[in-house]
Amino acid sequence: MNRRDYLLRRLGLSVVTILVVFVINFLLFRVLPGDPIRSVIGRNIRISAETQQALREQFGLDKPVFPDQLLDTFGQWARGNLGISWSLRRPVSEVLMSKLWNTVILIGLGQILAIILGVILGLLAGWKRKTALDVGALTFSLVAWAIPTFWLGIILLAAGSTWFGFPTAGIVSPANTGKPLITVLPDLAHHLFLPTLTLTILYLGEYMLIMRSSILEVLSEDYILTAKAKGLSDWQVLWRHALRNAMLPIVTLIALNLGFTIAGAIYIETVFSYDGLGKLFQTALTKQDYPLLQGAFILLAVSVIIANLAADLLYTVLDPRVKES
Amino acid sequence: MTKEHETKGIKSRFSMFGLKVFVILILVSLVMTACGGSTTTPTATVGTSATEITPTEAPTDGGADATVRFGWLGAPDTLNPAYAFLSESWTIFHLIYSTLTTQAIDGSYVGLLAKDWSVSEDGLTWTYHLKEGFKWHNGEPFTADQLAWAINAIMKDPEGWATVANYAAGFLEVTAPDANTLVIVTEYPIGNMDYRTSFLYAFYPPDFENFTTAEELQNYPNDQAIGTGAFILNTFNKDSGVVLLDANKDYAYGAPKIAGIIFQTFDNGDAMVQALKVGDVDALTSVPASAYETVQGYANVKAMTTDNTYFYELIINSVDPNNDPAPTGNPALADPAVRLAMAYSLNKQDLVDIVMQGLAAPGDSIIAPAMGGGFWHDPNMKDIPFDTAMANSTLEDAGYTLGSDGVRSKGDLRLEFRLQFPSTTPVYARVADMMVDWFKQAGIKITPQSMDEDSLIAATTPTGDYDLVIWAWEPDPDPDFILSVMTTDQFVDGGWSDSGYHNPEYDQLYLDQQQLVDKTARQQAIWKMQEMVFNDMPYIVLFYEDLLQAYRTDRFTGFIESPLGIEATESLLNVTPVK
Repeated sequence: MNRRDYLLRRLGLSVVTILVVFVINFLLFRVLPGDPIRSVIGRNIRISAETQQALREQFGLDKPVFPDQLLDTFGQWARGNLGISWSLRRPVSEVLMSKLWNTVILIGLGQILAIILGVILGLLAGWKRKTALDVGALTFSLVAWAIPTFWLGIILLAAGSTWFGFPTAGIVSPANTGKPLITVLPDLAHHLFLPTLTLTILYLGEYMLIMRSSILEVLSEDYILTAKAKGLSDWQVLWRHALRNAMLPIVTLIALNLGFTIAGAIYIETVFSYDGLGKLFQTALTKQDYPLLQGAFILLAVSVIIANLAADLLYTVLDPRVKES
Repeated sequence: MTKEHETKGIKSRFSMFGLKVFVILILVSLVMTACGGSTTTPTATVGTSATEITPTEAPTDGGADATVRFGWLGAPDTLNPAYAFLSESWTIFHLIYSTLTTQAIDGSYVGLLAKDWSVSEDGLTWTYHLKEGFKWHNGEPFTADQLAWAINAIMKDPEGWATVANYAAGFLEVTAPDANTLVIVTEYPIGNMDYRTSFLYAFYPPDFENFTTAEELQNYPNDQAIGTGAFILNTFNKDSGVVLLDANKDYAYGAPKIAGIIFQTFDNGDAMVQALKVGDVDALTSVPASAYETVQGYANVKAMTTDNTYFYELIINSVDPNNDPAPTGNPALADPAVRLAMAYSLNKQDLVDIVMQGLAAPGDSIIAPAMGGGFWHDPNMKDIPFDTAMANSTLEDAGYTLGSDGVRSKGDLRLEFRLQFPSTTPVYARVADMMVDWFKQAGIKITPQSMDEDSLIAATTPTGDYDLVIWAWEPDPDPDFILSVMTTDQFVDGGWSDSGYHNPEYDQLYLDQQQLVDKTARQQAIWKMQEMVFNDMPYIVLFYEDLLQAYRTDRFTGFIESPLGIEATESLLNVTPVK
């Protein structure tokens, strides 16, 4: 199979997967018990029975799920229209886009820092195995990986706001609300610090542990012994021979994590009242806001599928054995 | 192929990756390093038919330091009063819009746009004389015909104005004979007219003139709202929920003494409380009960509890057995002796002390003592005490004998019930846990089950597929709504009756009180209705939850404690920055 065929086959599979996701997406939320309209309004004393019925008609909920609602929804999706959010009364695509970049900034920064620090720490720990550095890094990573997200977030929020004056909520100060982010960068950075730090600590442990075990495995290979026998310095052995091979599992992990990046970090966004996709998912779920949930899950599914596709394609470059098979 | 060859592909990409990471790291570091880090109180004089708010003096301070920053756990869903579901929206409406009347902190209704008003002998014609000096936030003068237009718009399109249409129900005609007089003619006498007119906002006609369909009207965000209220809308960010308001220096009752208000949304209570501690916000509209004791210990913070109308209740399935669909509740629940035994088995004081940590009061009626300043609560009701012995003897006398498994039964009737509650707050589960033990001592077995709130709605109204439910209500300021919850008419799809209570005498009293313009006569009818619910027990009211609020005393002074909250207009007009 040549490279073009492989690419086309992977693309085709991804498209089929997305279509399956669309169907499951539609069905999944409609098997939930309860009346979504009542869920949106709760025990709201200002909404009469007539108004509730008008809402049902407006959103097509008075029609049967099969085939009316199914055809309506797929017709809309085919036209690129994700519908109107029931609870927010705004186009779903507009709502998703308004949160997307906030989440990408937060998760992106956190991931990048976690990757850099995790790889460096894992590399050093593996290289200096059984030293105080290794034991310290290993302990820190295991603890960091095991800490509940919500707990770490709250602790950092309390400490950071009390001792260092970091803000407790939001993406910018209320006074800067609505201004383009580029014009309020210092304020944005001030608000991003604690959530980014939380995310970095949480992911750092994972990267460190994978990197450490990977480098340990590589260091036991014969070619490392050969490199040492050739008289190369420790640094040269580590950089030229060990690191490159040890990075393969990390690349896989990065690809996987990036796929889920779009889902946001629900807990972190909730702790820091950060206006991102994770928080939006949670709200949509509690409100049974089908259009918003569907839109969010499509975005999430497509992101994961694209990230996996990218990882597959990257592997053909990184590891020729994959292409050959 | 050797491993050396395999790694070549990585080399160039890893270098690129490393370079990109390095550049981003530098950028992040740069960004990170860039961070740094008198007036008189507006009082209301309540007369027989006319009230007035005393004007305030000019503001004493301005700027950001004089802006009150509130933290809350919600956000307005929209600033369009035609279709606003959430209470946060209504808080903002009261600050930016004016109404003919408004509820004062003592629970009574006083004039706001109205200087005085009167009603005709037949109770059908209401004449309001408007106070002069009101201006729209854009500087244009406010006139009575604009308010007449606003109320007429609601009357003509109740579907579009879904969330305020109820307040104008029964209105026949609204006219403005002159610039300062408004006349409302109604189809029948309206007993709670003052309450209704406190929700009919004077919105700016040009903002709402051009909508042709209900959907178009309801989707209008109104995020540039113009009103005549004490505060001017500066910004409403739909994504973050942040609301910025500026003081209205031309307010008819005198400018606020603060520069403005910020409402900031928090997604978790711990972070919000921390924000108050470190001074990120100046006040909280609601302090989580679990954090209240902690907040009390903060320096320069005043935490306060206020009696409130929010109540938790035990719902007993009272659905008519002939209902379609047939209810599935245990038929033993129809026996008054079983209900009475349940009432004896509830230790409300323990619920208050243990579950609510003392931040509540034992309840008896669906109308809390805090409603309307105590005017509507029936003081003659005597609550049923916690008495396990009485619970047992009541059941014994009614013929329910104790089985070997500790559960009482009489013939086919076995005292074993489902107890369902929403999963929205842990309070319900804690109450249920305590009930299990108390009921067990009386030979009643209950099985608690947590459910999604919408599933619970589906199980109760109008199906009656339950035995017992623990739930809570946040009633309106007027008794009408919470009384309507017990009417037979509300046990329909989309209605609000969950108990299925059906009592023709109660239903008739409900209709009567709606048309009793005489307050004392209405009060008597409402007292009788409370007694009916208390005696028949479709609900056993467990406790009234306190309103918990807090503010920083080193930033502002003058917040007024009341069931309306420190964020009420009257309170905020009294707030002054600390020098």
